[in-house]
Amino acid sequence: MMLLSVENLSISFRTDEGPVTPVQGVSFDLAAGRTLGLVGESGSGKSVTTKALMRLLPGSAKLAPDTRIRYRDKAGQIVEVEKLKPDARALRALRGGEIGIIFQEPMASFSPVYTIGNQMMEAIRLHKGLRGRAARELAIEMLAKVGLSNPAARVDQYAFELSGGMRQRAVIAMALSASPRLLIADEPTTALDVTIQAQVLELMRGLQSDLGMSMIFITHDLGVIAQIAQEVAVMYLGTIVERGPVRDVLKDPQHPYTRGLLKAIPSLDRLTRRLHPVPGDIPSPSARPTGCPFHTRCTEARPGLCDRMSPAQTSFGTGRMVRCHLAEPALARSA
Amino acid sequence: METLIEVRNLEVGFPVTRRKFLRTSTQILRAVDGVSFDIRRGETVGLVGESGSGKTTVGRAILRAIDPTGGEVIYHTAAGNVDLAHADAETLQKLRPNLQMVFPEGRVNLHSLSGEALRSFRPRMSLVFQDPYSSLNPRMTVRDIIAEPLIAGGLMRDRKAMDARMRDIAARCKLNLEHLRRFPHAFSGGQRQRICIARALVSRPDFVVCDESVSALDVSIQAEIVNLLKDLQEEMGVAFLFIAHDLSVVAQISDRVAVMYVGQFVEYAPTRKLFFTPRHPYTHALLSAVPVADPDIPYNPVRLDGEIPNPMDAPEGCRFHTRCPHAREACRVEAPAWREIASEHFVACHFAEEFDFSRPENPS
Repeated sequence: MMLLSVENLSISFRTDEGPVTPVQGVSFDLAAGRTLGLVGESGSGKSVTTKALMRLLPGSAKLAPDTRIRYRDKAGQIVEVEKLKPDARALRALRGGEIGIIFQEPMASFSPVYTIGNQMMEAIRLHKGLRGRAARELAIEMLAKVGLSNPAARVDQYAFELSGGMRQRAVIAMALSASPRLLIADEPTTALDVTIQAQVLELMRGLQSDLGMSMIFITHDLGVIAQIAQEVAVMYLGTIVERGPVRDVLKDPQHPYTRGLLKAIPSLDRLTRRLHPVPGDIPSPSARPTGCPFHTRCTEARPGLCDRMSPAQTSFGTGRMVRCHLAEPALARSA
Repeated sequence: METLIEVRNLEVGFPVTRRKFLRTSTQILRAVDGVSFDIRRGETVGLVGESGSGKTTVGRAILRAIDPTGGEVIYHTAAGNVDLAHADAETLQKLRPNLQMVFPEGRVNLHSLSGEALRSFRPRMSLVFQDPYSSLNPRMTVRDIIAEPLIAGGLMRDRKAMDARMRDIAARCKLNLEHLRRFPHAFSGGQRQRICIARALVSRPDFVVCDESVSALDVSIQAEIVNLLKDLQEEMGVAFLFIAHDLSVVAQISDRVAVMYVGQFVEYAPTRKLFFTPRHPYTHALLSAVPVADPDIPYNPVRLDGEIPNPMDAPEGCRFHTRCPHAREACRVEAPAWREIASEHFVACHFAEEFDFSRPENPS
């Protein structure tokens, strides 16, 4: 059994202009100890998807009736996440204790008026039941584990006293202090300098193999994905258009959007005269195109097919999936 | 190509007052400490470095948006050379339209500037004041935003001519001319960045500072904006100082690239030389830290121990010696000279000749 299995996740929001559906029919599984990379442009629904896993969506959000989110908790019980009541004890245990989350901006994750240790100990008290000295010692141990120098002193400092890289390490330490089995990292290195990013990536890779934790790593940087994830899901306008093992997807992309993204990345190994953007802008979720969501920007789109019919999911190879009319026949032949 | 701007020993210091009990002490924070380089007409110079290295301050000091505390900025014009660092207000006012700036989209933060810096910035940023998180005034139409430099610089009085110039630049920046009466909020991030570029170029400047202009954008839009800047440069012959922390974007857009560390340049070379045969250990470390979107290329970032030093108490000798994996005794004692190690390849490292940090260039 998988650690997490998501089926048909669709999220809609009530707005003044009527309902908007930023996430539609997202399905994926995550095994224990694996890292799934979630890539896509801003507005593709990456963050909303992961927030739904922790039920952190605002009140105006509504899950579709056939959405299934199954999570296997520490006791081996299957939690039906979408059915939990907002005030359920199980939901409280899930947030932080089972699934941890770290955000892009570390400063926003810490309260400026409490010390780092104070905030870490709160999480430890809640999820581990430790108090006083024991909780403090665990907090110091976690800070040491993420490579902060002099953790016994850092524990009594405030977030603003640390540099950006140290702060992001402290956020990771706080998330890990409740020993979650799944860590959601929402663009954790985007705001950092490349040297600090390298340190944080190395740290997260190390911690993951030590703790046997699963991760969902959200980023728009395919370079980061190549270094940290085993599997990747490419999102476009709220749907996963391609999914599979990282090497296969990056080396042999099947969806025109994945190919476009890879082409658009400026390379450090080759100087080019021109870059190759994916033409056009991502449409607004309130004006979702009919048929394939990508057909408005796709250079290979076939009129009459792509703009009318929504492509089905085609599975092929080892654990790969693509949603494209054009990929289907070719893959059917190769199979 | 002819030199456009010559920067000689540029220094920018901010007084920082610390209060401890009843005593107050004022120290000078040297954000930029002795930077020399030149920019040619119509070329793009990339400027990279970690946050806090002083990249932005260099850009602003050249434009005199911040007053330098030392050194010279020689601006070569057809009518002779002008030292911008010492020019009076009247001369600056006249030259302003020729020197422009594109701010990072949605990230101009007046809160991060203080005292002296803010006061000198205010006259240039009155546009931004309504909403400090965006560089476009939400109450002005796009048309008025783009035309603003023409009015502020007193370049044009005739409304018709102004309108024609505004429409011309908007078209070059591939903005939809029918949308010029709209307000900035109606535009996407990429479109807003085009508006900022149009505003910077409407006065046909010689020189534009692009400060993290594409950093907040998605890869695809980023690629569009980089191509647009290249096209505009070719058409209009404008020179760019392109400040960014993303090395791979800088590699694609720049003719030459400078690397900055704690207020000083450590290396300055033509793009191909800097990226494929770097000479400074810091440049090498930066390049090795960029993850590549190919799982088969090994990722072995050079470990830089410790934190970036505070410019307030920068290390003695070479400023990088506290984190440099190759540091030796001489590095602790003596600051390395800024020297030309090969044609057009400048570096500040005692042992630059000994290092071979060359990387393979992928020809395909």
